[in-house]
Amino acid sequence: MTDWILFIPELYTLAAGGVFFFFCLGRGRPGRDYAAAMMLSAAGLVLTVCTAGFEGLVFEGVYQVDLYSQVFKALIYSGFFLTVCLCADLSGVDKARHSEFYLLLCLSTLAMMLLASSVHLLTIYISLEISSYSLYVLVYFRRGYPKGAAPAFQYFVFGAASSAVMLFGFALVYGAFGTAHMAELMGQVPARINEPVVFTGFVLSLSGFFFKLAVFPFHLWAPDAYEAAPHQVSAYIATASKVAAIAILVRMIALTGGQSDRVAWVLIFVSVASMTAGNLAAMAQKDIKRLLAFSSVAHAGYVMIGILSANAMGYTGAIFYGLSLMVMKFTCFMVVVKAADGGRNIKTDALAGLHQRAPVLALALLLALFGLAGIPPTIGFTAKLLVFKAAMEQGLLWLVIIAMLNVVISLYYYLGVLKAAYFTAPASQPRAIAVSLPFRLLALAMIVFMVAGGLYPRYMTALAGAMTAGLLP
Amino acid sequence: MQMHAAHFPFLSTILLICVSGLALVLVLPKNSNAAVKWVSAACSAATLALSVFLFAAYDRAAGGMQFVERLDWIPSMGISYLNGIDGFAAPMLLLTGIVFFTGVVSMWELDFRVKEFFALFILLVIGVYGMFMALDLFFIFVWFDVSLLPMYLLIVIWGSSAREYGAMKLTLYLLFGSALILPGIIYLAAVSGLETFSLPALVENASFSGFEQKTAFLLFYIGFGILAGVWPFHSWSPTGHVAAPTAVSMLHAGVLMKIGAFGILRVGMFLCPEGWMYWSPMMAVLAVIGIVYGVMVGLRQTDLKFVIGYSSVSHMGIVGLGFATMTVDGINGAVFQMFAHGVMTALFFSAVGHIYDRTHTREIGELGGLSAVMPAASSYFVIAALAGIGVPCLASFWAELLVFIAAFRVYPALAMISVGVLVVNALFMLRVVRNTCFGPLNPRWAHLKDMSFAMGMPRAVLAAAIVGFGLMPFLMYDLIQTASVPLIHALGPAVGLAGPESVETLFTELMSVWP
Repeated sequence: MTDWILFIPELYTLAAGGVFFFFCLGRGRPGRDYAAAMMLSAAGLVLTVCTAGFEGLVFEGVYQVDLYSQVFKALIYSGFFLTVCLCADLSGVDKARHSEFYLLLCLSTLAMMLLASSVHLLTIYISLEISSYSLYVLVYFRRGYPKGAAPAFQYFVFGAASSAVMLFGFALVYGAFGTAHMAELMGQVPARINEPVVFTGFVLSLSGFFFKLAVFPFHLWAPDAYEAAPHQVSAYIATASKVAAIAILVRMIALTGGQSDRVAWVLIFVSVASMTAGNLAAMAQKDIKRLLAFSSVAHAGYVMIGILSANAMGYTGAIFYGLSLMVMKFTCFMVVVKAADGGRNIKTDALAGLHQRAPVLALALLLALFGLAGIPPTIGFTAKLLVFKAAMEQGLLWLVIIAMLNVVISLYYYLGVLKAAYFTAPASQPRAIAVSLPFRLLALAMIVFMVAGGLYPRYMTALAGAMTAGLLP
Repeated sequence: MQMHAAHFPFLSTILLICVSGLALVLVLPKNSNAAVKWVSAACSAATLALSVFLFAAYDRAAGGMQFVERLDWIPSMGISYLNGIDGFAAPMLLLTGIVFFTGVVSMWELDFRVKEFFALFILLVIGVYGMFMALDLFFIFVWFDVSLLPMYLLIVIWGSSAREYGAMKLTLYLLFGSALILPGIIYLAAVSGLETFSLPALVENASFSGFEQKTAFLLFYIGFGILAGVWPFHSWSPTGHVAAPTAVSMLHAGVLMKIGAFGILRVGMFLCPEGWMYWSPMMAVLAVIGIVYGVMVGLRQTDLKFVIGYSSVSHMGIVGLGFATMTVDGINGAVFQMFAHGVMTALFFSAVGHIYDRTHTREIGELGGLSAVMPAASSYFVIAALAGIGVPCLASFWAELLVFIAAFRVYPALAMISVGVLVVNALFMLRVVRNTCFGPLNPRWAHLKDMSFAMGMPRAVLAAAIVGFGLMPFLMYDLIQTASVPLIHALGPAVGLAGPESVETLFTELMSVWP
């Protein structure tokens, strides 16, 4: 007897997808679609928050509902809701396709929610695939993009390849243990992680999550996909999708119990490579979305520091990092969406004079960039402090120093964006950016959240800490 | 470390005044420039008054940490909001108050993006105040970075020559420093096994191994040292100072560089005495190279701000030399020098800023004879120059005297070199004074008006501080003594270096003959 109550948020999301499915059948009415999406996503967010206390196992133990999964679902839903908030001006997508756009967003969100609760290798695989497939299509939704389907196709090929590798890894793990239930694996993996077949299987199975998080060397799709996708989709990939990837990656690494130096070294390698490659490449970018894509790669590296530490502080840090990334990246995309006319891509210079055209957005951008650079007192600093503390508890002083040097590199390009927003004089008289009152409130909320997360993160870190309870041996 | 709880949270009040000032400036309508300036001035005057009060109210007989206030912040990580001041921090608060107030008044004539300027300026000062009073490593780092960041925008928007380059270089250098400090802080917190970031708790209870102390001290020394202008990490400082607008140069050279030195003292020396001892010869050598280098490169400069910028490098070298001696005299001198140099450089930049605003040049060759048309402005310039040389009866004289008394005992050769170079510097500075203020008047400046009383007021405050503490050094000396003696005493058993007898200093004897 399955306890369906526990499954309510997912069912709700499925139903919301169904609504848009019916909208798809009729003629496109963007205004109606947007209003419906706002209402449905807001209600869904409330619902996920209300169900945060649920606990239990459903579907023969392959689907675990606990604080960890529920908070992540709320985070993913926040990403969905915030993305929909940006859709008032969805000019990057053909008018006739708005219903499909929201339908795919819903499905992707649903899949990510499933991912957060999956505790069976097969469920993980299936939910990961569903979430990715929606995104492959969404990236291609951009109206009149000159490069056509190439970036979306590239995204798809990378995704397919990495999930193939992941499936192979799962097969090896299943072959070695004869079970795909995480609860059963948890007891057996730590003791046998250094056997070649288990080690190989485990590391290969991480590739799918690395792809999702855009960790080196699975990051090559990111800049092109971010650049090609409608801004809202890039925002969604940078926020909700990253949070989901962190959720499942933390669960996977927790399987090893932090007992394996070999796994740790693999993770240290991808972490250092990600942050270095991401930051160096980002320095050369002119297009803001490409810059943000490479900065996502770098941040994936920082998140990995928390995850590879494999201790309570590290998991707490990784979870908190996911939250902070969502807020900061969303704020950046909020500015991009507002500053770009008609959904076009913009270069950094296009932000010139932002402090006069929209002071609130400029201030939000300033805090988001400082946050991304990990400068106190912003939420990004707290996130970095947590993951660095975790690494230090494992004695990885040098790793923290490398990461901090990377932070200095990243500051160079963040300051470049900031300079454009606050200092560069616009070439011609630019239009003032109309910021509606709700949008202004949203920007203010982000500002408050970013500062509060830096100055007084007490309750947020406590929540993240409580979530890790089930992960540790 | 003795902790005396505060009956009233004076320290937080300072921060609160600044924060409310900032909030008020932000909500004022866009074009109310005068209101913004008055709010900033009121805010700075209030904090100055409070810091003067704290300087006077600090109980010198009791010593230790006073006005301590504490609040749990993030209990799960052992982070608390912990503030307090000792004999090292009280002078620094006073310095910040003075420079904040005079900086705001010096920028009274600003008319470009006024609101944003003062908002960022106050934000910067919040970081500075916070840094000097914080006793929790987490907050020390937070305030440290808060004080650095507004700098980029302040220089890039309101700066002058090569501002983009200067601003980017300064920011990246200083953030590179904080990139070393943060690992150092977390490292110590993690290896202590105490689950706390509180500095007093770590000083009391943690026992760090020699290796840990050496590693962490090096991180702190380089990290904070970059901001303190330690050679060879100083090169951001002259370019940054030249690019920055007047008040920012004042605050930056006057206070921010002290944050660097204060960080080495508060975090490095308090937590890692063995590391301090291990690296002190290196510190001494780098400090003396800084002194010599600052003077020698300064000799070649023709831009007044570069002259001051390089002299700052050499003056901060004196601070570093004082720290390296590991003696009471040395520490006293170094902290005194931090204060004296802060006030002096602020006056220097303030005077040069005034001259530059009128003449639009800082080239020494183009100036000349200014004392004929601007007697008040030139006299402030001269006072600053004399203080820079270390003329007796000015504050910096006592500071340098103390450092060299200590240095001659511990590093005689290095002390000899430094004193020799400073004599050369004196000759050079006098020549600069002659070429700008005296000699034939350049006819281009004949029409210039002298400083008004209002504009002269901040300079007068700074000059009064220089002369006042020059005539009554014991006001400062006795205060610093309350912190430096316990610091060196605590070293005694740990490093076997300073016994009680070395605390009886030559300077104390000198001071005892004062009527």
